Amino acid sequence: MDEARTQRIALNRIKGKTLAWFSKPANVILLVFLLLLAALTLYPLLSLLTETVTVHAGREARAAKQAVGDLTFYHFQRLFATQENEYSLIQFYEPFRNTLLVSLSASMIAILFGGTVAFLVMRTNLKYVKFVSAVFTFPYIMPSWTLALFWENFFKNVNIGLKTSNGIMAAVFGVYMPEWFVYGGFPIALVLGLHYAPYAFILIGTMLRNMDASLEEAAMILRTRRLRIIRCITLPVVRPAIMSTFLLVFASSMSAYSVPVFLGSPVRFYMLSTKMKSLIDSYPGQAYIIASVMILLGIVILLLNQRVTSSRKHFTTVTGKSRQISRIDLGRANYPLAILLVIVLLLVAVTPLLTFAMESVIIKAGDYTPGNMTLDFWIGTNLTERLDQGDSTGILLNPKVWNALGYSLGLAALSAFVAGTCGILVGYGVAKRRGSRLANVVNALSFFPYLMPSLAFGAIYLAMSSRIPWLRGFLLLALVGSVKYMPFSSRSGLNAMLQLSGEIEEAAVITGVPWWKRMLRVVFPIQKSSFLSGYLMPMVSCMRELSLFVLLVPTSNTILTTMLMQYSEKGWAQFGNAINLLIIIVVLLVNFIVNKLTGASIDKGVGG
Amino acid sequence: MKKILSLVLSLTMLLCAVPAFADVAADVEAGQSMTHDALVEKALAESGPFVVYGNTSRIETAAEAFGELYGIPYEPNNLKDQEIYEKLRYVNGNDAADMVMIQDGAQLTDAIDEGLVVNFVPASVQDALSESDQQPALVHQYINKLFIYNNLGDDVPAIRNVWELTAPEMKGNVIFKNPENEKVNMNFLVMCTKDEWADRLAEAYLDWKGEEIDLGGYANAGYKWVAEFLDNVTFGKSDTSIAEEVSQETAAGKIGLFVLSKLRSSSVLTDNLTVAEYDAVANGYAVEPFAGFMYPMYTMVNTRATRPYTAMLFIEYLMSQEGFQPWGKNIGAYSSNPSFAVNEGDLTIDVWKDVLVVEDADYILESFDVEDFILQHCQN
Repeated sequence: MDEARTQRIALNRIKGKTLAWFSKPANVILLVFLLLLAALTLYPLLSLLTETVTVHAGREARAAKQAVGDLTFYHFQRLFATQENEYSLIQFYEPFRNTLLVSLSASMIAILFGGTVAFLVMRTNLKYVKFVSAVFTFPYIMPSWTLALFWENFFKNVNIGLKTSNGIMAAVFGVYMPEWFVYGGFPIALVLGLHYAPYAFILIGTMLRNMDASLEEAAMILRTRRLRIIRCITLPVVRPAIMSTFLLVFASSMSAYSVPVFLGSPVRFYMLSTKMKSLIDSYPGQAYIIASVMILLGIVILLLNQRVTSSRKHFTTVTGKSRQISRIDLGRANYPLAILLVIVLLLVAVTPLLTFAMESVIIKAGDYTPGNMTLDFWIGTNLTERLDQGDSTGILLNPKVWNALGYSLGLAALSAFVAGTCGILVGYGVAKRRGSRLANVVNALSFFPYLMPSLAFGAIYLAMSSRIPWLRGFLLLALVGSVKYMPFSSRSGLNAMLQLSGEIEEAAVITGVPWWKRMLRVVFPIQKSSFLSGYLMPMVSCMRELSLFVLLVPTSNTILTTMLMQYSEKGWAQFGNAINLLIIIVVLLVNFIVNKLTGASIDKGVGG
Repeated sequence: MKKILSLVLSLTMLLCAVPAFADVAADVEAGQSMTHDALVEKALAESGPFVVYGNTSRIETAAEAFGELYGIPYEPNNLKDQEIYEKLRYVNGNDAADMVMIQDGAQLTDAIDEGLVVNFVPASVQDALSESDQQPALVHQYINKLFIYNNLGDDVPAIRNVWELTAPEMKGNVIFKNPENEKVNMNFLVMCTKDEWADRLAEAYLDWKGEEIDLGGYANAGYKWVAEFLDNVTFGKSDTSIAEEVSQETAAGKIGLFVLSKLRSSSVLTDNLTVAEYDAVANGYAVEPFAGFMYPMYTMVNTRATRPYTAMLFIEYLMSQEGFQPWGKNIGAYSSNPSFAVNEGDLTIDVWKDVLVVEDADYILESFDVEDFILQHCQN
């Protein structure tokens, strides 16, 4: 009798504990996302790893002299330990070294440039702040290869690279830049650094914007020098943001493909991403090993990141108390600094747009006289005179372009909605259960897709879709977009939640406000801008994404970026430039509308 | 519990079910002997959009004309070879291509062996085409990449012998698309090491230098030429951009190896360019031992096609004079059908076959080590 009673009590206790566990929304969220993310990120990862030890049909099976589908370590041996013709050195070790150097440099450039500008904008009385923060995100909105193309067109000259023509710098100003400046590791790192600098601007800027000035004021009262305040107070507060930026830029630069092709090819500078792409067709096993190595590199950085953020703990910057930001007076340095910044931004963010506009109206390349210009590529109705085939109307009159624009927008909006919402929930769950094993696992899993190179991620999902009949078309693209860009949202969601002092939500808990109401009425409004940026970043990324979707689109005219690539491939640069400009304008318009409606915008980023 | 288990199992089966492919190979077999009218009837009875993959942009124009002719909704896709093979492997259902037009004979041979595509030769051309252009894959046309140079300045690289491209003074003056990024370029370099071309390169060397070739450590003259050629080459992004760059006023002394049809592009300053072989023919000499290379463009039916008869009808259409028109109206594309006349001022396919390196899929497929050798010289 007693035994049965004890058992009943034990059972009740377990039941009670389970119920209590499930009554906390954070636990349920984490559990649901654990299952979801395991299926959507772990499964692709396992598929990828399986590919590294499987013999594939075609050239690979013949070279390995093994049957298709056999288990093998041939790919590892071939990629890592083939001395003949310096195969391993050429296919792996040198590109690996280049990748490390470029990704590290790009991360440093992005942090230094983006972080400095964020500091100037958020914490000083710098002039032209509105212009600077609005324009700073332009390079991120543009597909990165267009910035590379601009770099080459601007600085190329007859002494370097193909040695065939002069860019604007040589033709107009007579300045002939050296080869290392225009081609190779330096410009690749610089272009990627500039392209991803908005990450630093947004993430570090948010921290600076939300930071309570009382810490700094206390130091000032104690007559601490300005530099020391920055070193001992400001930098530690923004350290998690710096580390997050480092992780994001490193992983993105590592898997960038088009920039190294454009700026590396003429000087034979290769990276892991370019090698992966050239191998994926004939020797997929080796290509997937390269993808795995890239993921592994990302994991190392992720672990470093986690170590830094967890050992230092986080700094709550949004509390129930009032806060104010003290701005540093730049004094006489203000105008020179502001003007320098405006010039740099005009060069890297506005000039490319002007060149896209210019290139979309000229008929013969290189001739910028008015007689060689036409708006036909935008609004013309009889282009067959200029082009010997294909589209006969300008892009604004072409229904294919409008369809693709609609599809791209729909895809970006749905992916952003799913990624953004999931990101907030993951951020909430992880922040509330911070330190628990479940939270750590979900946090890591939600970031994982970011570490997978887009091309490999797309290829794996393509293979998965062949086994799941309903997973195709728009649904497949939206799923891939949502998963791939969830890291943005989960990061900004987590950062926002970590800044939010627990006491704010507790006040609502005490008065018995249900969870969904607390989220909608308390948490979301306070960190609205942070959360909205968790929607905007995936939206922007989706709009200009190519590698991720190129294998998954039902047709090459489905989305704007594949269409843009088509036009570039065909040599119809005018259409390509016009569509590129169209993408940027649309994204800016979306940003503007969101800004008008909600007050949030990309440039305000994750900042409140 | 059992109910839940069976529900989960049936759901899993539903989710992971692989769609059953129609027996496309059997349809194609039947289609080989069908008349045009019978093909049309079968094609019009099929439903869904007609999806085409092609690595030539003009496939869109051809598909549009075909779609309008028969009232069939079409979805042309201009993709790179790599993307086409990847999609052939994994895409099924209505999104899968019904028909593909593709280059790189070596990889196509693998795709045929893998069962990804099946060959269809329309009855209308079975007598007109040579056997080698019908099997193992139907050749729609040949494309040539030629030595084309800038004709401005005092230092015009009007080559008469490909060994001239290996001279120290040519370093940095030769522009070619990286063979790692386009397999047909790789195939060309691999072909140079085949005995037939290596011997001709050795003879050309003798003509050029007036002495027998010293192979050093190279296996044959082909390897030596490939290594020294690549040492002098600068890699361009695409054939379009190479054509544009070599044609610039400021590009005197430069020579490229790129697709002849790029001369049609409005952004290329055609007047500044001379095609080496055209000059040779006009002035009664020959570029030794080759003036560039040539590769076939094949048409195949996807074994996952949902509209196999439409695919066959389209292939039949492409093989007609009208279907070849999008390519044939400009120089640089040559139908496999010898009865089709070439453009005025261009050379016939028989002439080109004599002066250009044509890829041999079997040799390329067994030459892994040659590719490694080429990769090494693409790096250093």
